[in-house]
Amino acid sequence: MNRAALFFLNVYLYSLFLFISGLVTPILTGVVVALAPISPRRRSMKRFRRFISWYGKIITRAAYPFIKVRYEDHAEQGAEGPFIFVCNHQSASDPFLMSVLPHECVQIVNIWPFRIPVLGVYARFAGYLNIRMMSHGQFIEKASRLLEQGVSVIFFPEGTRSTTGKMGSFHGAAFRLALETKAPVVPLCITGNAQIPPKGSLLLRPGTIRIRRLPAVTWNEYKDVNAFTLKNRVWKIIDRELTSMESKA
Amino acid sequence: MIDQDIINKTNKVFEESFEIEKERLVPTAHIFTDLGLDSLDIVDLVVALQNTFGVKIRNEERVRDIRTLEDIYKFIAEMKKEEAGKTS
Repeated sequence: MNRAALFFLNVYLYSLFLFISGLVTPILTGVVVALAPISPRRRSMKRFRRFISWYGKIITRAAYPFIKVRYEDHAEQGAEGPFIFVCNHQSASDPFLMSVLPHECVQIVNIWPFRIPVLGVYARFAGYLNIRMMSHGQFIEKASRLLEQGVSVIFFPEGTRSTTGKMGSFHGAAFRLALETKAPVVPLCITGNAQIPPKGSLLLRPGTIRIRRLPAVTWNEYKDVNAFTLKNRVWKIIDRELTSMESKA
Repeated sequence: MIDQDIINKTNKVFEESFEIEKERLVPTAHIFTDLGLDSLDIVDLVVALQNTFGVKIRNEERVRDIRTLEDIYKFIAEMKKEEAGKTS
């Protein structure tokens, strides 16, 4: 795609993003706020997180046909949620893509997502956890409470977006949480969005993004290993799958 | 000179408890940057080393100074020497 076409594509996509955000977020927020006084807090939170997921779905689908999003569910029947989702991280679009998951979810984030205007405020209200702003003990306590309430948690355990095309090593928090809570760990693989947008840029390029959900690693499969070993096993599962997805792309 | 038995048993801890490939277990390997452990993994490592060598590892300065596999070999050798000194 030449520079002019790319320029107009980005003007179109960002205008669409702002238009939809300006239209959808006040409506969804209004519904949540209006129903909050007559709903228990738990139900309000569930509704709020569902609306965030709808917003993500609308934003990611609106870019069609320039940016196509394909969700491939390879999960086997059996494992019951809530889940600990573990996903590779190449682009700022990854958090939006989590809207494909049909669960009530909270994302575990770094400092910067909370600083994004408007969206950062929504993330805070939705109970997203900033892992850098709390001790390990506090984090495990809060995340365990979410899982007890039936809320799945999503990790990007590389901590930062990869720029090399190769998945970075994982931090251990997701796997320590798994060992504490016995929750199934679900590997998620994203390909095709390294340029949508690339790290350090806002420039969107057309392409097809694939999100593949793999079978859960259950408590029975990891109960005898430590967090480090579980982390490396899941890293290998995702790495192998990414290689396979990219070779068939 | 460090006892080969300490080296073998320590490496076995890394192979079995942490599933790290034998080839990566060289004395100069940095346990954080080369082997990928983080500060919280050290707790699991200490437990595994205690079980393997039958020594009690307390939260002492020497543990915090450990950086490489060789540092662990030396640390365990010193611990064993101290334990032997106490019992004799």
